[in-house]
Amino acid sequence: MEDEIIMPGTQIADKPLRLSYGHVENEKTYSTVLGLKREDKLIPLKGIYEPRFGDYIIGVVSEVKFSGYDIEMKTPYPAFVPDRMLREKLDHGEVIFAKVMNVNEIGELDLGQVKVLKKGRIIEVPAVKIPRVIGRDNSMITLIRESTDCSIFVGKNGFVWISEKGNSALAISAIRKIVREAHTSGLTDKMQEYLKNSN
Amino acid sequence: MEEVELFKNGKRYDGRTVEELRHVKIKAHVLNDADGSAYLEWGNNKIIVGVYGPKECIPRHLASPYGAVVKCIYNMSPFSSLGEHGRSGPSRRSRELSMVIGQVFENVIEREKFPKAAIEIFVDVLQGDGGTRCAAVTAASVALADAGIPMKDMVSAVAVGKVKDTVVIDLDYVEDSQGQADCAIAFANRNKEVLLLQMEGEMSKEDMQKAFELASIAQERLHQLQVEALKEVYMHINEGDAFVDI
Amino acid sequence: MEILDQLKRDTIQSLVSAGKRADDRDNFSYRDISVKKNILEYSEGSALVRVGKSQVLCAIKIGIGEPFPDRLDEGILTTSAELMPLASYLFDPGPPSDEAIELARIVDRGVRAAEIIDVKKLYISENKVFVVYIDVYVMDHDGNLIDAAGLAAMAALQCTRMPKIENGQIVKGEYEGKLDLLKDVTTHTFAKVGNTLLIDPCLDEEKGMDARVTLGITDKNTICAIQKWGSGSFSQDELFQVIDIAFKKRKELKELIDNA
Repeated sequence: MEDEIIMPGTQIADKPLRLSYGHVENEKTYSTVLGLKREDKLIPLKGIYEPRFGDYIIGVVSEVKFSGYDIEMKTPYPAFVPDRMLREKLDHGEVIFAKVMNVNEIGELDLGQVKVLKKGRIIEVPAVKIPRVIGRDNSMITLIRESTDCSIFVGKNGFVWISEKGNSALAISAIRKIVREAHTSGLTDKMQEYLKNSN
Repeated sequence: MEEVELFKNGKRYDGRTVEELRHVKIKAHVLNDADGSAYLEWGNNKIIVGVYGPKECIPRHLASPYGAVVKCIYNMSPFSSLGEHGRSGPSRRSRELSMVIGQVFENVIEREKFPKAAIEIFVDVLQGDGGTRCAAVTAASVALADAGIPMKDMVSAVAVGKVKDTVVIDLDYVEDSQGQADCAIAFANRNKEVLLLQMEGEMSKEDMQKAFELASIAQERLHQLQVEALKEVYMHINEGDAFVDI
Repeated sequence: MEILDQLKRDTIQSLVSAGKRADDRDNFSYRDISVKKNILEYSEGSALVRVGKSQVLCAIKIGIGEPFPDRLDEGILTTSAELMPLASYLFDPGPPSDEAIELARIVDRGVRAAEIIDVKKLYISENKVFVVYIDVYVMDHDGNLIDAAGLAAMAALQCTRMPKIENGQIVKGEYEGKLDLLKDVTTHTFAKVGNTLLIDPCLDEEKGMDARVTLGITDKNTICAIQKWGSGSFSQDELFQVIDIAFKKRKELKELIDNA
């Protein structure tokens, strides 16, 4: 069956559902973003990242403060890593991979389980496409890692970090291809082919 | 200005019928840097909208802990009219329109999801020929959807008015300046709530009822064009750079 | 966001020092350029230029004004540039930034210094001359706005119609002939990143550049305007190298605007 395109305001269920990209009004659920309806599921094509407890993100140290560090991660306000969550000191401009430990009611974020990423570069990916970059049970990202020998970290906020070591140019173009074709089916097979032919 | 016969033998001066819109073309995602964008041609109106956010709200004292602030800036380019070269920068008119257009989207955007943040809507009128605020609302709704900013609904807008004692839809500059009344209406698509309403001139209650009837029909058509513009971008695999297709 | 720019700067500098560009171009190749003329009905002339992802519009309006007291027999040329806030997260609403003023002045200098327009022909009658407004509107910013704006201005001037005059007044929407152009000019911008020279820098390369130089070249293969920007420096050899390259590149760009 062909996917149905969903607009902000399109009804997606006649009962209230708790969805990231849904809005409930009069016991009915409506989409708040542009998306596709595939087998009663809403696949967002567009959307803004909303941090949740437990998300893994990638960010950059933007300010060294008295009790910790401000982390720029493309949310409206920087996140914060308290000193007590760290074993070592961080430097301004360092890239980290970390877990969201707390989100308060006004959107302020605390991070923990910090890993510093050295010698690589960040590319920006729309946050709604991140699940496709990761793939079911990490299948997609594992495929790219194995085909390029790169170390790759994926942040739910839409940042992907790729090590200098390995074929990083191929890894970047593979990820860009996934982003462009994220809403098509049979993507894993396509990517397998692409990576095989480009290697 | 030369007077023209605005309504004669069931037709308007440009040949349209009372309920006929001018030609409308919408293209979504026309800019590369903006988070969302749209370009709209509506008769001789040419309008471009860029959206940024949610982002940090500057100055900070304008931020609200309850939700994102929606900032709209409506701007007429100095070369937008057939007449003299204008001034750049905000006029009293453009500041008022910025406010009322911004309020339309304060209504539909799920602002509470982004406390202390700002969402910016920049509207630039490259060429204006009457009905630019309606065109701006219609284009901005597409640009916001392109940006992925969560909205409870899509919005479109159209002007209705009265020329030579006849209620007509979508007045152009000549009809607007020589006619009897002009009324801009924005509707939420789903529940048809009125989100923008500005009228000047003179109309009876019956005229107003007819005006809303015409506007409701036009709104369905405009929504369809918005949907097609967004589909165009996202149903096809989108390769290459975004560009303004003037 | 600033911290991300810093990161991009580092990436670009290491790429360039490894002999690569952000988008795999040669050091002296332009990105894809497209030029479209006559895009607006209410302006006397207009053009939209895309250089890579940068998009710049130029509109020409012609009005009537009083001449300057020291040049009573000459028309007036006035250029402005707006970096529209929708074009980039770097642009803010409000009065023109230094960058916008510099852009307008470089475009203006190219047009004025090359004497593209015969200002004496813009004289109408005593105390009445044509005023030519050149408005540059930046709609999408991915670097090298100067060359894009220069091309847009030249293309828009090429298709500018002269308004019809009756009883010393402009007849709205009616035209008589075209604006006479004596010459044409193209501008060519080079960035210096580390010790490497690059033509047509994209935005990321501009973030990583130490200096920039723009040359305005006329159809007589003369240089009509130069602007150096940035705290970095150029050696004299480097400057003559970019002059040679600009002379070569001129043909490419001129064909693009002539054939649009």
